[in-house]
Amino acid sequence: MKNKKIYYIIVPFIILVIWAFFSNLKLISPLFLSTPQAVFLKIINLFSSGAILPDILFTFYRTLLGFIIACLIGIPLGLLMGYSNKIYYSLEFIVEFFRSIPATALFPLFLLFFGIGDQSKIALTAWAAGLVLIINSMYGVHLGKELRIKSAKTMRISGFSLFQKIIFPEALPQIFSGMRIAISLSLVIVVVTEMFIGTNFGLGHRIIDAQLVYKIPEMYATIFIVGVLGFLINKGFIYSEKKVVHWKGK
Amino acid sequence: MIEVENLSKEFPQPKNEIKTLKVLDNISFQIKDGELVAFFGPNGCGKTTLLNILSGIDKQTSGKILVNQKEAKESRVGFVFQNYNESMLPWRTVAGNVELALEIQGADEKRKKQISNHLLNKVGLIEHKDKYFYELSGGMKQLIAICRAFAYEPELLLMDEPFSSLDYSTSRKMELELLDIWKENKKTIIFVSHDIDEAIFLADKVIVLSPRPAKIKGIIEIKLPRPRNLDILSSKEFFEHRNEILKLFEYEK
Repeated sequence: MKNKKIYYIIVPFIILVIWAFFSNLKLISPLFLSTPQAVFLKIINLFSSGAILPDILFTFYRTLLGFIIACLIGIPLGLLMGYSNKIYYSLEFIVEFFRSIPATALFPLFLLFFGIGDQSKIALTAWAAGLVLIINSMYGVHLGKELRIKSAKTMRISGFSLFQKIIFPEALPQIFSGMRIAISLSLVIVVVTEMFIGTNFGLGHRIIDAQLVYKIPEMYATIFIVGVLGFLINKGFIYSEKKVVHWKGK
Repeated sequence: MIEVENLSKEFPQPKNEIKTLKVLDNISFQIKDGELVAFFGPNGCGKTTLLNILSGIDKQTSGKILVNQKEAKESRVGFVFQNYNESMLPWRTVAGNVELALEIQGADEKRKKQISNHLLNKVGLIEHKDKYFYELSGGMKQLIAICRAFAYEPELLLMDEPFSSLDYSTSRKMELELLDIWKENKKTIIFVSHDIDEAIFLADKVIVLSPRPAKIKGIIEIKLPRPRNLDILSSKEFFEHRNEILKLFEYEK
């Protein structure tokens, strides 16, 4: 495809034009929608004053920490569930049950157990991302090729080696797909918890504060920054995925 | 020495508790050390089941198998499958795949390198040794699978239609490569094929199987001289063997 890059910007550009058109002609009240130029100036202002930096750092830190905890617990648990039918049947109900409950509905529960500080935000994030990772790691094992296991077994491979040399790498592409979904979800959960569980710093905190006092350009500016942060995290992840599971789809 | 005596295999049928599905019916044969024996029979006759039992990953219903006086499960049996994409490890390099069995046995780094370099040199793929498995062509991939099996130093090497997904000229090339490795490294090989020419070209003996349940229809000694080359395929002796086998061959109804 020639000029691939042009396709990246066409649709965003059209949306920007429509947005500028409606907001500048005051067809939509500025109480609901700021103009793009006001939002843009606010973004510049937030960065030049440095005010947004602690928010970005805190949100990023919580996302990353929640995600890492989710990986450390969710991936091994999912692999075990995929490997052993006994573990699978023991946990299947619990996992499927909690998977259908929105994590944010469990706010009160997490507040009771972890308090109103960072711990509950990170724990809730790890919970939501962990469930995604459990399911994906488990499928990674289930979707593995029977023949690869069979051929390793003819070489009299032992249980642990089978897991380490065959089952785990075989599940890795699926685990990575899960990780990509999980890290995006982590950011979502962190921003939502920052909006509703007290904190001094965080992008979610800034969004809700701006909204409460009708600093609408600041609210949109922060939402935009959340979007860019999510976009960058995802791009970085796709890049590392291609490096690590290079054999995927080949 | 491989000794198989009155081997039978029946599978329980999921929806029928009284009748079982008979796949192997009273199979008996012997293979001397270093012999290459081909099994020739129609598709679905039970060849794969036979190999699974010989490799020790499945159990017979009745009968006896001895590989060098040991149970199949206690002996070293190598296996080359038809589907190299699903039996090899795409996340490893070419050398990494060949070394898998040695690694499982706990061989040291030097020995692993020595064996894999030697085999890859032999089949002319040494310059690809650090490439990933998926970067090779189909024929090359199957050669790697064969190297992996030879690296394992099996007492018995089972090959389940290894070349049947390759085109005519690649298959012939692979057969020559196989004979070349085998000449230097005289493993006992059981080669399953549904290609009559391939079976005759490779083997010391061809064992003809009937449609399911598989019975032995006959055992033909192949008296073609070695080393064999592709000219043999159009020789008079080759056709005599071919006719002999086709006379025994029972078509599916």
